[in-house]
Amino acid sequence: MADDEEDQGFDDDLDESGNGADVGHGKRKRLFSKELRCMMYGFGDDQNPYTESVDILEDLVIEFITEMTHKAMSIGRQGRVQVEDIVFLIRKDPRKFARVKDLLTMNEELKRARKAFDEANYGS
Amino acid sequence: MADPARVKPESGSESNSAAEDIAQNESTEGGSVDDTSAPEVSTSQVIPKDEDKAGSAKVSVTGEDDEEGPSGLHPPPAKKLKVEPEKKKEKRHKVDEDEIQKMQVLVSSFSEEQLNRYEMYRRSAFPKAAIKRLIQSITGSSVSQNVVIAMSGISKVFAGEIVEEALDVCEKWGDTPPLQPKHMREAVRRLKNKDQIPNTKYKRILLG
Repeated sequence: MADDEEDQGFDDDLDESGNGADVGHGKRKRLFSKELRCMMYGFGDDQNPYTESVDILEDLVIEFITEMTHKAMSIGRQGRVQVEDIVFLIRKDPRKFARVKDLLTMNEELKRARKAFDEANYGS
Repeated sequence: MADPARVKPESGSESNSAAEDIAQNESTEGGSVDDTSAPEVSTSQVIPKDEDKAGSAKVSVTGEDDEEGPSGLHPPPAKKLKVEPEKKKEKRHKVDEDEIQKMQVLVSSFSEEQLNRYEMYRRSAFPKAAIKRLIQSITGSSVSQNVVIAMSGISKVFAGEIVEEALDVCEKWGDTPPLQPKHMREAVRRLKNKDQIPNTKYKRILLG
């Protein structure tokens, strides 16, 4: 009897945290479940990845973002996160570095294109 | 999948356009796209995140090899990064167009399943609002849009690296996808050894 109660209590805790398998950051709501599923499929996993794997990956991504943010806060302008800091932190990793450079370049181009488009409209 | 050692001497022929992509992407990130062939889909061709300009820094390597003409022996990519600045810009432009063309040829030859997967690969992204909220909850102050763009982009690459490594582990252990938590954890362990996963929780002790 006592054992049953203990088991139930334990299960209830897990259920309340909303996540049965991996109780790492169990209390937090899952932020990226849908997007991560699509991402994992795109990267080579099965079309329906396991929920536990998605959870693990979400925890890893959140930890990654947290670490990067903390590091970025500690360099350059203290207490703030700026793009230059991120680029600096990433400089050793060729893939990520190239990706950030691309994204920022494309963003600039898009902004310029949008601005030119708006001005053209305004002029005519 | 094409063996990198064999691919470069054949460069220049159309049929190897896909293989060249793999070659130049393998030189980009050594070790992540292995010789392990994922049985279902040509994922290793799709995985590298090169959009048009992406591999440009590394692409000059393959571009140079092209101009030298086919040779049985070619120097390893790492040594060939010294190029004159003027030549570099034209080469990069020309190689961009080549790369775009090659990608088009590649994508046009995809099967339906591969097309689905490729579409997911390109389109999936982290929601900017959630990332912004997360970063702001850590910093306590607001962050610019560029920071959010950069951070979500890097996070996607990070997720990709883990999934790739986990697929390698999965194949090595003789399992099939879908990936199981044990594959993910082993992948994390391997990447930690390669220092690809940041961890500032424990102080590193150099000696003793």
